[in-house]
Amino acid sequence: MISFSKSLKFSAIALIGVTFGAHGAQAPQRIDIGKMSKQVENVVVPLPNEIFGALNKLGSVNWREYVRTEKTSNFSDRPRIALLLGTVIADGFIAVQAEDAPAVKEIGNRVLNLSKGMGVEKSITPHAKAITEAADKRRWDSVRKELDSTQSSVQAAMNELHDEKLSQLVSLGGWLRGTQVLTSVVNKHFSADGAELLHQPDLLMHFQTQLQGMPEFNVPIIKDIQKSLGEVRPLVDAPKISPESVRKINDITTRLDNGIVTKE
Amino acid sequence: MNGFTKTGVRVSLCLIVFFALRLGAAGTVDDAQSFALQAAEPYVKEGFQVREDYWGGDLGSGEKKAVRQQLFKGNEYWFWMGTEVERGKISVHIYDSEGKLAEQPDSWEKGHFAAAHVIPKATGSYFIIVAVEESPEERTHWALVYGFR
Repeated sequence: MISFSKSLKFSAIALIGVTFGAHGAQAPQRIDIGKMSKQVENVVVPLPNEIFGALNKLGSVNWREYVRTEKTSNFSDRPRIALLLGTVIADGFIAVQAEDAPAVKEIGNRVLNLSKGMGVEKSITPHAKAITEAADKRRWDSVRKELDSTQSSVQAAMNELHDEKLSQLVSLGGWLRGTQVLTSVVNKHFSADGAELLHQPDLLMHFQTQLQGMPEFNVPIIKDIQKSLGEVRPLVDAPKISPESVRKINDITTRLDNGIVTKE
Repeated sequence: MNGFTKTGVRVSLCLIVFFALRLGAAGTVDDAQSFALQAAEPYVKEGFQVREDYWGGDLGSGEKKAVRQQLFKGNEYWFWMGTEVERGKISVHIYDSEGKLAEQPDSWEKGHFAAAHVIPKATGSYFIIVAVEESPEERTHWALVYGFR
């Protein structure tokens, strides 16, 4: 994968030429999605800050309330480390929302330690350094970008080691923590628009399919997540998501998050 | 230099040029991604955060592919597509889960760059349809990146 920063080497001049004279596309107003089912690629799992950004637009959120920096258990199981790594990266995005520089730096170090446990620290060290530097300068956009790069690099490194399933667990861990915080916020001050952000049935299906492909990971928390996603999916697959559904999802994701960060 | 040597040098030069051209033509999805990111560059200045993750592959002329993506109401998204095949023509369009065109009128396509803009009316799955409309190559690499604010 080519990093975004590399792309800056390309001249913007060509783009100016491109955007001038570019025309609005003539696209059909309707297509039959069903006919394209065999040509559909997998989803890219949204980053927690993609959801937090939308949530922020609905009203101010006291993000400091959700910042978490306490040290978590040490694991030797790689699937457990992968889940925890995703959760900690999500914690990084929460700390950025809260503009909490010490928390961001602490999380940067934890990401580095966890990636050592996965054997992918080489690709993470420069990002961890960049996170610390950007947090010191309170350049929050840079920290967000580095957190995205960290997750992307860690997953690319895992894929290179043919650990694609562990890479998927990183995304899942991040999504669970993001959903836990989203439901906590919406639970406190319910709004239909806030609850609508949980309408992610295809993403749930995507995670369920991935977990079904991991029978070799005989880890209780993974089994628990698999079962629980089956409970969450009908709750988010509704045109209107009720306060009761939000509360239930929050209970489930809080329990799962505890299971991820704590040794059973 | 005798005739034999001269011929040898010419053949070697021809071979070098041939392989250089072949290498130049045989791009990769990473090259396509560089062009997609190039298309995204002006939007970063407008506050769009470009994701590191991307989709990519290759398509024949006239072929299309759908990419399913979760989008959130309240955010604004741009999807940028690129290919390294400079004489190629590509397109990208966004549809909602019902198959209805959901993109903004300022979406654009120009040669080997294309972009689609969406401000989701609802949170949910959307389909991003990428297509290679024309290309001198049998298979054309493409890459799609997205950004949000």
